[in-house]
Amino acid sequence: MNFLRGVMGGQQSAGPQPSGAETIQKLCDRAATSTLIDDRRDAVRALKSLSKKYRYEVGSQALEILLNVLQTDRSDSEIIGFALDTLYNIVSNEAEEAAECEDENPQVSDDLGVHFSELFLKQQENITLLLSVLEEFDFHVRWPGVKLLTTLLKQQGPQVQQIVLVSPMGVSRLMDLLDDSREVIRNDGLLLLQQLTKSNAAIQKIVAFENAFERLLDINAEEGNSDGGIVVEDCLLLLQNLLKYNNSNQNFFKEGSYIKRMKPWFEVGDDNSGWSAQKVTNLHLMLQLVRVLVSPVNPPGATSSCQKSMFQCGLLQQLCIILMATGVPADILTETINTVSEVIRGSQVNQDYFASVNAPSNPPRPAIVVLLMSMVNERQPFVLRCAVLYCFQCFLYKNQKGQGEIVSTLLPSTIDATSLSAGQLLCGGLFSTDSLSNWCAAVALAHALLDNFTQKEQLLRVQLATSIGNPPVSLLQQCTNILSQGDKINRRGSKVQTRVGLLMLLCTWLTNCPIAVTHFLHNAANVPFLTAQISENLGEEEQLVQGLCALLLGICIYYNDNSLENATKEKLKQLIEKRIGKENFIEKLGFITKHEYYSKAAQKPQPIFSSPDHMMFDHEFTKLVKELEVVITKAIYKSSEEDKKEEEVKKSLEQHDNIISRYKSVIREQDLQLEELKQTVTTFQTKNEQNQTIISQQQAQIQQHKDQYNLLKVQLGKDSQHHNVHTSNAQMNGIQSEEVLRLREEIEELQKQQESLRGELSDKDSLIESLKQTQLDSQTVQVTGVSEPNAEYKKELEALRSQLHVQSAEINRLQAERTELLQKIEGKASDSGSSGLSTLSTNTEWEEKIATLLQEIASLKGELKAASEEGSSLRQQLDTAQSTAAILQDEKLQLHQDISESKKEQDDLLVLLADQDQKIFGLKKKLKELGQLVEEEEDDDDLESGDDEDEDEEDEGGREGEN
Amino acid sequence: MAYAYLFKYIIIGDTGVGKSCLLLQFTDKRFQPVHDLTIGVEFGARMITIDGKQIKLQIWDTAGQESFRSITRSYYRGAAGALLVYDITRRDTFNHLTTWLEDARQHSNSNMVIMLIANKSDLESRREVKKEEGEAFAREHGLVFMETSAKTASNVEEAFINTAKEIYEKIQEGVFDINNETPIPWIPSELQWRPVTARSSDLRQLQTGDSCEANGIKIGPQHSTPGSPGSHLGGQQAGGGCC
Ligand SMILES: Nc1nc2c(ncn2[C@@H]2O[C@H](COP(=O)(O)OP(=O)(O)O)[C@@H](O)[C@H]2O)c(=O)[nH]1
Ligand SMILES: [Mg+2]
Repeated sequence: MNFLRGVMGGQQSAGPQPSGAETIQKLCDRAATSTLIDDRRDAVRALKSLSKKYRYEVGSQALEILLNVLQTDRSDSEIIGFALDTLYNIVSNEAEEAAECEDENPQVSDDLGVHFSELFLKQQENITLLLSVLEEFDFHVRWPGVKLLTTLLKQQGPQVQQIVLVSPMGVSRLMDLLDDSREVIRNDGLLLLQQLTKSNAAIQKIVAFENAFERLLDINAEEGNSDGGIVVEDCLLLLQNLLKYNNSNQNFFKEGSYIKRMKPWFEVGDDNSGWSAQKVTNLHLMLQLVRVLVSPVNPPGATSSCQKSMFQCGLLQQLCIILMATGVPADILTETINTVSEVIRGSQVNQDYFASVNAPSNPPRPAIVVLLMSMVNERQPFVLRCAVLYCFQCFLYKNQKGQGEIVSTLLPSTIDATSLSAGQLLCGGLFSTDSLSNWCAAVALAHALLDNFTQKEQLLRVQLATSIGNPPVSLLQQCTNILSQGDKINRRGSKVQTRVGLLMLLCTWLTNCPIAVTHFLHNAANVPFLTAQISENLGEEEQLVQGLCALLLGICIYYNDNSLENATKEKLKQLIEKRIGKENFIEKLGFITKHEYYSKAAQKPQPIFSSPDHMMFDHEFTKLVKELEVVITKAIYKSSEEDKKEEEVKKSLEQHDNIISRYKSVIREQDLQLEELKQTVTTFQTKNEQNQTIISQQQAQIQQHKDQYNLLKVQLGKDSQHHNVHTSNAQMNGIQSEEVLRLREEIEELQKQQESLRGELSDKDSLIESLKQTQLDSQTVQVTGVSEPNAEYKKELEALRSQLHVQSAEINRLQAERTELLQKIEGKASDSGSSGLSTLSTNTEWEEKIATLLQEIASLKGELKAASEEGSSLRQQLDTAQSTAAILQDEKLQLHQDISESKKEQDDLLVLLADQDQKIFGLKKKLKELGQLVEEEEDDDDLESGDDEDEDEEDEGGREGEN
Repeated sequence: MAYAYLFKYIIIGDTGVGKSCLLLQFTDKRFQPVHDLTIGVEFGARMITIDGKQIKLQIWDTAGQESFRSITRSYYRGAAGALLVYDITRRDTFNHLTTWLEDARQHSNSNMVIMLIANKSDLESRREVKKEEGEAFAREHGLVFMETSAKTASNVEEAFINTAKEIYEKIQEGVFDINNETPIPWIPSELQWRPVTARSSDLRQLQTGDSCEANGIKIGPQHSTPGSPGSHLGGQQAGGGCC
């Protein structure tokens, strides 16, 4: 600290500063001792204004006092604000630099910041105090508080982080700054959180837990994503802090479905007008964030699940659009290629998608071809060419299908002369006069062969037409030719680069492929070339080539199947001993791994080189070397007897291996089949499900129709009730016949009633008949027989009336006679009483007779009347019954029609259902078959199992099918 | 992927009681006898269904050591549920429950659902803590109790799902303010943090951060708030209706 004093002391002696120091002392005293808040406030305000110019003095004298103010004057936000401002000025180097900076030595101001930060942090409580001050909502408190804490974090990061971490609500309070409605505070809050989360996984996790991802993605979207300003950049930097190297947060990010929210970041459209510097920066950071999630150094499971979501949400597709768009700045394009590379690396689905991407050119070309064109184009920027190589490597990584497709573009049978293919571009690159193209093409081609025996064999078939008139030469031979004649060709770039590239290709090709070794050895010139290279004493530059030549020769020994008489393992080893010497050979072999470029390339898959000259090793190749160096060294040191013994062991092992590999391939095939079958089963299952839903839908429809039908019928019933009161309410389909039955019964009953009424009527008739008979007997009145009912009644009645008339006329006559007689009798009574008595008795007899007759007539009249009444009511009843019957008949007809209609509908539906049943049955049958197949395949894996289990299999298959 | 609700959980308890194993059993359905010591906090997630609704559980597994205690405290406030775990074969882990509970109650929001888990129920022969004791403790402190085994997976699903059911019921009862209309009652420790004299224009500010999200619950995009048919048209509702 003495040096600080020294510097400051020098300043003090130079002018009015001493008075400054004195003033500060006075102000400090006032701020510390005055009992009046106004006084203290003025003092702190004055200290603030001096704190930039007299930073050291204020810092060393006022720090304690200012901290005290923070503690004791919490109720006065103004003084708190001044104190925080002052503290910020003291601790921050930026504040001073922003002011007129008289310091010749910026180092000193840096040291001052660190010094005062240390003083501030002497007491852990000071940070806690600052955190609690941040609760104050007042802008003039919160803002300097945020800035002060940010500065402290910048200067004493780990220490401050630790204190914040252990204060219970620490991190979550700071997270709340992002919700501050005042943008300045929110934005400075972002800067604070950036510092807070720097390389501290525990804090990163808490910040993520406090919903940082949601908040930051929201802010990003609000600010316009890539079109946004520096706030977007700050958000992205914070996101990067939270996600980089933090697997737990990456997992949380993925699980929280935030990946799909990255997609809009890359919807940059085709308008190329707006590529501001800020937009380029933003997009760079966005692309890097995608790469953080799918980095090859992440745990494999984590990367692959992120890759999967990136395809599912369309992020990869969006990136590919940028990839093929025009007018994208080169560095953004480069980073996009690198990003796409890592999104597809090792993920079959994504690789397949990438293979299907076409450039919007005319005619459309595969993206792979367009990219490779850039890779072998000297005019393209170096980093872009590296990115394309990386992309190609990632496309082929663990992608046998892709490897096969690339190699096939070179094969005579599938070659398409009309359009530019990946294979042609690679060959062009391999034999161009640009060493970088040579190297890139060689490495790219090597990646098409990695761990793929089939393609190594296939590539041996490739023939090249070198020049007109000359016979074609194999690709393998052409590579070795260039290698040996390399010196003669005039090339741009480094000759070593070309040769290293070709040697890497040859080593990869021949590894684990005895046929390729035989092909290589078949050309008698190759081995002498290699031995000459290895044995020569060349300069440092050539050492790498020597090492790789040794490796290639070693591979020719190790993977030699002794099929060439004059180039067996044994003979080659003898050759090494004679021409090079074992020790020398091993030493040269060791040149590779000792090379500084080797260890650089071994670090990670992406080809990154500080300059094109450093482009020597490929990452995958370094892995290969590591494996081969050990086995080749062993092979070289082995005696011929050991070799022979080993050969025998190897043979038997090989036989074993053969068997195993046969089984393996069988298993692999079955695995594939199984997978396929599983897929078909799942597709069938989904189809089945779909069908079932369709069926249930249709059933629901049928039900709906039925309901509708019934509803209509009810309505119909109601309607007809309105029209006709007598209409019975037939409602249900099923009840209809019953109803008809009932109606029939009713009709029958009515008919019966009618019958009985008729019977009664005829009874009455007969009664009347008999009555007439008696009348006829007693009065000798002729009455015509009344036999027919109803119609005859009136006549009868008429007749009876006329009879009555006649009778009454008779009676009148008789009465007149009687009165006459009575008068006569009265006149004669005085004359002779005896004769009068006899007349009297006959008179009374008559009178009695007449009275009884009259009575009889009256009762007959009543009876007649009643009978005629009964007759008319019967007629009425008959009428109504007949009309009811007619109505019922009508209704019955209608109901019959309805029934037949609904029957037809039902029939239609039944047909539909039967169709569906048929389909389901078919599907079920298919499924059943499939189920059996799967079962059988699984049993096949168990090679010991015999046919005796067939029955069980069938049973299981059956069960499987039902599931 | 779509969910109706998202709940945040934490798992707490002494080191070695099987917290990480419980999480692994729940998320990956496997038991890993040799497990790395948890450093700080680890994350896991799974989807479950309650009442026909998809519910996403985000679970933070904490380190039990005293040295990480202060870090894990930061996770209480934002959690909707906590599994407090002890080991039936180690009485000391049972004895420490009170401390854990005090810690949790002090730093969490008052609505956090706490489930007491007695783990390693498969080790009956080495049992030191009777089931009845666990039940009694749970009753006394108003916790839900359950004996589990991360090894055999017994009751593991139930432990996580029953906790979610509790939370879900609380939501249905309206304990959590999922519509974020009115802030839920402050808890004392938060009162200290909030400005004492907020301006009326600052009230909006006050309310944010204390919605259900602060309680470890989030409403998913597929959820539509009952009685607000317009929420689908709202558009912004989709991103996360709550908070
Ligand atoms: N037998 C048995 N062992 C368990 C069970 N759960 C965890 N363990 C073992 O207990 C030890 C500690 O588990 P761990 O999950 O790391 O505890 P944590 O510190 O609470 O996360 C490990 O060795 C586990 O194998 C259980 O249910 N039964
Ligand atoms: Mg653990």
